[in-house]
Amino acid sequence: MSDHLTLAQVDRDGAIAETLDRISPDSRAGFLRKGAILGGGIIGGGAVLSALFAEAGRAATQTDLDIGNFALTLEYLEAEFYTEAVAMGAIRNARVRRFAQVVAAHERTHVRALQQMLGAGAVAKPSFNFQGTTESEAKFKATAQVLEDTGVMAYAGQAPLVESNAVLKAALAIHTVEARHASWIRHINGAPPAPAAFDRPKTMAQILAAVGATGFISTGPGMTATGSTPSFTG
Amino acid sequence: MSDHLTVEVVDADGAIRKALDDIETGTSREGFLKKALTTGGVVALGGVVIGGLPGLVTAAPGPAQDAKILNFALLLEYLEAEFYTLAARSGALSGEAAQLARVVGAHERAHVAFLKGALGSKAGAKPTFDFKGTTEDQTKFLATARVLEDTGVAAYNGQGQNLTKPTLAAAASIVSVEARHAAWVRDILQQNPAPAAFDAARTQKQIEAAVGATGFITA
Amino acid sequence: MTTKSKRRGGFAAALALFLVFAALAYGRDPAVDDGGVDLSPIPSERVEVSAGPSLVEAQAAPEPHRLSDLDGISRYMGVEQPVAARTTPSLGGKVVARLSTRTPEGTTNVVLALRRVERGGKLWIQARLPILPNNTVGWIPRTALGGYNQVSTHLVVKLSTFKATLYRLGKPIWSARVGVGQNRWPTPAGEFYVRNRLTRYSSPMYGPLAFGTSARSATLTDWPAGGFVGIHGTNQPNLIPGRISHGCIRLENADILRLDRLMPPGTPLSIVR
Repeated sequence: MSDHLTLAQVDRDGAIAETLDRISPDSRAGFLRKGAILGGGIIGGGAVLSALFAEAGRAATQTDLDIGNFALTLEYLEAEFYTEAVAMGAIRNARVRRFAQVVAAHERTHVRALQQMLGAGAVAKPSFNFQGTTESEAKFKATAQVLEDTGVMAYAGQAPLVESNAVLKAALAIHTVEARHASWIRHINGAPPAPAAFDRPKTMAQILAAVGATGFISTGPGMTATGSTPSFTG
Repeated sequence: MSDHLTVEVVDADGAIRKALDDIETGTSREGFLKKALTTGGVVALGGVVIGGLPGLVTAAPGPAQDAKILNFALLLEYLEAEFYTLAARSGALSGEAAQLARVVGAHERAHVAFLKGALGSKAGAKPTFDFKGTTEDQTKFLATARVLEDTGVAAYNGQGQNLTKPTLAAAASIVSVEARHAAWVRDILQQNPAPAAFDAARTQKQIEAAVGATGFITA
Repeated sequence: MTTKSKRRGGFAAALALFLVFAALAYGRDPAVDDGGVDLSPIPSERVEVSAGPSLVEAQAAPEPHRLSDLDGISRYMGVEQPVAARTTPSLGGKVVARLSTRTPEGTTNVVLALRRVERGGKLWIQARLPILPNNTVGWIPRTALGGYNQVSTHLVVKLSTFKATLYRLGKPIWSARVGVGQNRWPTPAGEFYVRNRLTRYSSPMYGPLAFGTSARSATLTDWPAGGFVGIHGTNQPNLIPGRISHGCIRLENADILRLDRLMPPGTPLSIVR
């Protein structure tokens, strides 16, 4: 993946992140609560979104279905990546772990919302092999940064192509949250949270090529055989 | 929900493809926007002051409406650019807060330049601001920055469906940067950088009320 | 004991006591210069150290991380390249088995993932293996395996009561009577997993559906395709329950169809006496 950080970059940034984390962890302990109190007015939350999707109905045009499924595939990938990273227990740093937990929950919510919007037209979840990137804190940090930046570029590329306002609203609401995620992990990694004044979009083909190159989306194991008589001991 | 196809949408592939290319190569950002805004040759807008903005009717997207919305965005970008510029100059900031003021200020100034260029003669004038000491105290600076960035995200997201597609592409390239700014400030403040799974959109009226309540715009 | 050795013994004991006392005293002595490192037990989230990176890394070195829990989530992985499973997580470890990518039935060869460690920047998975002797585990480089697949079910077969129970997250959700191996061809006891699922064959002896497991007959070692123990239906339901088979676990056809709706392949299997 051309945007992938080199190991040298990751190591250097990891050292900076560890330095930042020497701030007493107690001050971070209540940030979720604080965020809820202070951030409520402008940010909005789940209640706003359920209303949004209640009125959204289904993605009606083929274009919107294709775009929705493209987004859903990326969200499946992110949701599985973060959920697995939390479960794999390789993240020792509290700040990184909190990032993983919060973002995992967001991505799972994105999956549910897109599935609801696409209805019977939603693609099924693929199988994934994260090849150890969920099992090493350093690899997780680097991969998360690339995934989030990619998500921003993907949504930016599709937004102008969406045909219905309902799907557009949903896409915009997710797009900026992915940008928050990207900024957050970049900050943790010691990379510039907002590297440029303008974020660039990428086309669906470019994103799919980049994602394909990771090998994360894989055919799962084939567990069923049809038509051959069992050769068990009986 | 608007299902009918406007000329802009039908024209989509050419204009959008060019718009995206231009953004990616960094060339002629203003060029395509100018084109979008002048097609159909409609109304020039005078200067805008908060509260005096004509109410944005959610008509089908078109160049005139794009201009109104971009002037609304320009107002917010003027505010942010001035805020960060003054804060960086005040000498009150140190460490990462100072760095943020420099980096984000440069971004917001770039956004101002971009929108002014795109609007051309239709661009509203920069208002007069009084930031009431929030640029001269690091704690107040950070708290205010957080609100301004979150507000910017909600403002742009609230207008997405009202824009023509090329203008939407441009807005998308800006709003994600505002979201990055917001998350950065929040993380410095040890608040949740991404408090919700979906970012709420706010209407122009809601944004005007929020900004008006700050008292930052004095003329 | 002679008097001499008694005295020596007594002295040794006193010395030992003194050393223990000294160790305790020194451990708490603030005057001892330990280089600024806090030696008290460090809670996992505090990283307040002035020592260099080595201490931080030591704290972060993971214990073998558990990947499967019979009362919760278990994980299985496909074997994506032919690979050797070893006694230790190291390329110098003795080879326990050589795994191929396919089962005799043509399905993906999968292993139940038990634990994970990192050694020298490389991940190793300790896996339950479909080999004799039964209950063998081995360490496999993670790079030879596919993604993690989760199940929340656990099948338990109790031979002495001829009963099979399926649990989901520790709660029973299905049970049925079973036929098991005759005394000369016993169904092996131990820890295994369901590794594939066979359908749409035409052999009434096996009923409508069969599950392959990682368990092997310890007696029918010459059986074609390795003598794997299956879980399958039957055209002789009247024999259930009982010791009736060559080692397989037999279910009435309606029961195995119900099981199929609830139990994904990959599910861990415990066979108890």
